[in-house]
Amino acid sequence: MKTAMSNHYLECLLESLNDKTEETSDWLKQLRAQAIDRVSQLRFPTTKDEEWRFTDVSPLEQLPFKPAQTITTLKQEAIQQFFVSESTNRLVFIDGFYAPELSSLNDSNSCLIGNLSSMVTNQSSLAASHLGRHVHFQDNIFAALNTAFLQDAAVIVIPRNVTVTDPIHLLFVATQEKVTHSPRCLIIGESNSQATIIEDYVPLQQHAYITNSVTEFSLAENAQVNHVRVQRESNMAFHLSHCTASLERHSRFHSVDINFGGLISRFNLDIQFKAEEAECAIDGLTMITGKQLADTHTSIDHAKAHCTSHQQHKCIVDDNAHAVFNGKIMVRPHAQRTDSSQSSRNLLLSGAAQIDTKPQLEIFADDVKCAHGATVGQLDNEEIFYLKSRGLPDLAARNLLTYAFGAEILDRIPVASLKRTLEQTVLNQTQNLLTI
Amino acid sequence: MSAVLQNLVNQPYKHGFVTDIESEIAPKGLNEETIRLISAKKNEPEWLLEFRLKAYRQWLAMTEPHWQNVKYPKIDFQEISYYAAPKPKKKLASMDEVDPELLRTFEKLGVPMHERAALAGVAVDVIFDSVSVTTTYKEKLAEVGIIFCSISEAVQHHPELVKQYLGTVVPVGDNFFAALNSAVFTDGSFCYIPKGVKCPMDLSTYFRINTQESGQFERTLIIAEEGASVSYLEGCTAPQFDTNQLHAAVVELVALDDADIKYSTVQNWYAGDENGVGGIYNFVTKRGLAKGVNSRISWTQVETGSAITWKYPSCILRGDNSVGEFYSVAVTNHHQQADTGTKMIHIGKNTRSTIISKGISAGKSNSSYRGLVRITPTAENARNFSQCDSMLVGDQCGAHTFPYIQVKNNSAKVEHEASTSKIGEDQLFYFAQRGIDSEEAVSMIVNGFCKEVFQQLPMEFAVEATKLLSFKLENSVG
Repeated sequence: MKTAMSNHYLECLLESLNDKTEETSDWLKQLRAQAIDRVSQLRFPTTKDEEWRFTDVSPLEQLPFKPAQTITTLKQEAIQQFFVSESTNRLVFIDGFYAPELSSLNDSNSCLIGNLSSMVTNQSSLAASHLGRHVHFQDNIFAALNTAFLQDAAVIVIPRNVTVTDPIHLLFVATQEKVTHSPRCLIIGESNSQATIIEDYVPLQQHAYITNSVTEFSLAENAQVNHVRVQRESNMAFHLSHCTASLERHSRFHSVDINFGGLISRFNLDIQFKAEEAECAIDGLTMITGKQLADTHTSIDHAKAHCTSHQQHKCIVDDNAHAVFNGKIMVRPHAQRTDSSQSSRNLLLSGAAQIDTKPQLEIFADDVKCAHGATVGQLDNEEIFYLKSRGLPDLAARNLLTYAFGAEILDRIPVASLKRTLEQTVLNQTQNLLTI
Repeated sequence: MSAVLQNLVNQPYKHGFVTDIESEIAPKGLNEETIRLISAKKNEPEWLLEFRLKAYRQWLAMTEPHWQNVKYPKIDFQEISYYAAPKPKKKLASMDEVDPELLRTFEKLGVPMHERAALAGVAVDVIFDSVSVTTTYKEKLAEVGIIFCSISEAVQHHPELVKQYLGTVVPVGDNFFAALNSAVFTDGSFCYIPKGVKCPMDLSTYFRINTQESGQFERTLIIAEEGASVSYLEGCTAPQFDTNQLHAAVVELVALDDADIKYSTVQNWYAGDENGVGGIYNFVTKRGLAKGVNSRISWTQVETGSAITWKYPSCILRGDNSVGEFYSVAVTNHHQQADTGTKMIHIGKNTRSTIISKGISAGKSNSSYRGLVRITPTAENARNFSQCDSMLVGDQCGAHTFPYIQVKNNSAKVEHEASTSKIGEDQLFYFAQRGIDSEEAVSMIVNGFCKEVFQQLPMEFAVEATKLLSFKLENSVG
C-alpha cells in the first residue's frame, strides 16, 4: 500500500534519512526501522480525513525542509529571556540538538535528567522500555516521522518516592529557517513521585521551519506530574506536536497547553487510563491572529473504571485566524463511575475569524457522570456596558474582558514567573489587537 | 437491579402481522429498465423519467457511505424489488369500498380510519405499500385551496408545482440513499399550502411497509407559500419480518416568506427481535429550506423503531430572521442502532435555531447524536442553542455525541451542552417507597426526561408517544 509518495516534503525527508549512518544502539535502530516502515505505508493526511478535516497540511507538502544538520552554537544571553527563574533544572535543545553548555542540572543526583544519547546503558534500557511504547505512531504519520528521525531525546525519570520541587524546563529553540526538527521527550514518573515539567518551544527568528515533536509521559502508581506546554513558535512556523500520557492507578496528570505561535499548528493530546482511580485535568488556551491556524485534538480514553477527567479549552481568535478544537472522550464498557467533564469556549474577535469545535462523547457504560459543553460567541455587550458604566473606556473594557477570558486558563499554571510572562503576552496581544 | 425490571423492555412487537393482499411486484434488481418500468406504471411525464434517470446515473458513480456509527451487513441493491403496488381495483367512491383486509389491518393497528378522520378531524392520506389507496377530507382542504394528495397524483394533476420544487432542497445527487430514492421513489405525500392560508387541521399520512423484501422509497414534498402555515404528522408501524428491509425516504420542505411548517414523526418500524434479527433499515434524508424572510421550520421526532435509524432532519435557514427547530427523542433497545441528529445551516441574518435531543439506550443498543451547526459569514447575529442528553439503561449499551460547530461570523452566539445520566437505584427506591413499582417508575422517569420534546408534539401524538416509550422500555431496567 504505497501511496502519496509524490509528496515533496516526505521525499526530501526520507532522502536525508538514507544519508544518516550514525552509531546508535540496536533497540533504537529497530524502533526507527519500524517507524520508517510505517511512514512508507501511511499517507499524508488531507482534509478528506475526518481527523484533519479543518486543518489543511498540504502547504507542508511543498516544503523541502530537511532535518537540521549543522549545530548552531549560542551564547546564553541569546536565550536567557526564555529562562524560567524558578527552574533550576533546564535542558536546552537547539534545532533538536542537545546543548549541554546552556543546560543546567541541579537535581541530577535525586533523579535522572538528561539526553538519551549521553546516557549509560542501564539508564537507556529503561528509556528503551518506554520510548515509542505510549505514542501510537502506527496510525499517525507525524509521530511515525518523528520516531523515524529519533536520535536524541530529553529523558526525565523521577524515581520512586522522590519529589522534585523545582520545575524542570525543557527548552526547544529554533534558530534555523527551512529545516525540520523532531524534538522528543520521555518523562517517566515512578510510583509516589512528583514533578513539574515545562515543555517550551521558542524561536530566535521569525521565518518558516517545521517542528514535529513527540512527548511521552508514563506515570506509575500514585505519581503526579504537572505539565505546562508552551508553544510560542514563529508565526511563520509549522508546529506538529503529539503528546501521550499513560496513567496508572491513583496517578494524577495535570496539563496546561498554551498555543500562541505557528502559522499552522496541530497539537494532539492522548490520555490513556491504564488503571482505576487515576485522574487528569487538561486545560488549554489558544490565542491566534493574522492568518494563523491552530488545531487542538485531544482524546481521553477512560478504559478503566473510577477515573476522573476534567478539561477546559479556550480559544481567542482574531483577524483571519482559524481555531479548531476536537475533544474526544471515550468511556469504554465497564469503565463505571467515570467522572468526566469537558468544556470548549471560544471567543471570536473579528468578522473573518473562524472556529470549528467538536466536543465528542462516546459512552459505553451506564454508571457514569459525563457532561460537555461548547460555546462560541463574542464579548458580551452587557459586560462591556457594565465596565463602561464604571468609567472604563470602551477599548479598555474590551481588553480587560478578553484578557480575563484567557487568564482563567493561565491561572492554572503552577509556575509563577512563567504565568506572569504569559499573562503579559496575552495582555500585550489584546492591546495590539484592539488599539488598531 | 431487580428482575422485574429486566422483563420490562422485552415486550414483543405489538404490530407484527402480514396482511395478505395480492401485490403487483416488479422483478428484483435495479437498472434503467426498472426505472422505466416504475415510471411507465405510474404514467409519469418525460421530465420525471429524466429526473429519475439522472439520479440513477449519479447513484451508480457514488459509493455507500461508511462514516456513520452503525453496523449492518452489506446491502445487495440488486436483491430488492423496487416496485410493489396493491392490485388496482376499480376506483373507490367511498370508504366502504376499501379492501376489507386493508381496513382490518388498520384496525389491528388501532387506527380506525373513518373514525379518526371524523372524530379527530384529521385527513389521513393512507399509504399502503407505496400506493396511495384513499384520501380523505380532500374536499374540505380543497375549499381553502390546499392540495394534499399522494405525490403520484400531484405529478398527474399539478405537474408544474412538483417540477418547480422537486429536488430543490435535496438535490438528486445529495447523498447515496437520496440518489437511490430519487431514482426509484414510488409514492409519498405532496402538500401545497397557498399564500396566506393557515391549514385548518393537522395533516397526517400513515406509512406501513407490507410486502416482504420490498424496500420502500417514499418521497414527501411540502410547500408552504407566503404566510401559510401547516402542521404535518407522520406515523409509522410495520409488520414483523425476518429479512431486513430498506427504507430510504426523502422529505423536502420549502417555507417561503412568513411561512411556518411543523413536521412531526412517530417512527415505530419493526426493530428486529431481541437477538437483533430482522428489522427495518431506516435511512432517511429529511431537509427543510427556510427560504423566505421570517419563515420557520420545526422538526419533532420520536424514534423508537427500526433496527437502524439513520437520519438528520435539517434546516437551511436562508431567509433573514428564519427559525429552525429540532426536537428529538430516540429510544433504542436490544440490538437497535440509531445515528440521528440534525443540521442547522445559518445563512440569513438574525437566524435562530434550537436543538433539543434526548437519547435513551437500553439493552445492547447504541444511539448517537450527530449534529452540525454551521454559521456562514453572511449570518449576522445568528443564534443557536443545542442540548443533547443521553440516558443509559443497563451497562451494555452505548451513547455517543458528535456535535460539529462551525462558526465563521463573530456576531454569532452558539451554545452546546450535553450530559449523560442513568436511572439510578436511588430514584427507583424513591418511587418504590411511594408505592410505585419499578415498571411505572421507569416510565415516569423516561417521560420526564423527554418532556421538553413531547410538549412539541400535537396532542394525540403526544399520548401515543408516551405509551410507545413505556412499552418500548418495558423490561429494560434490571
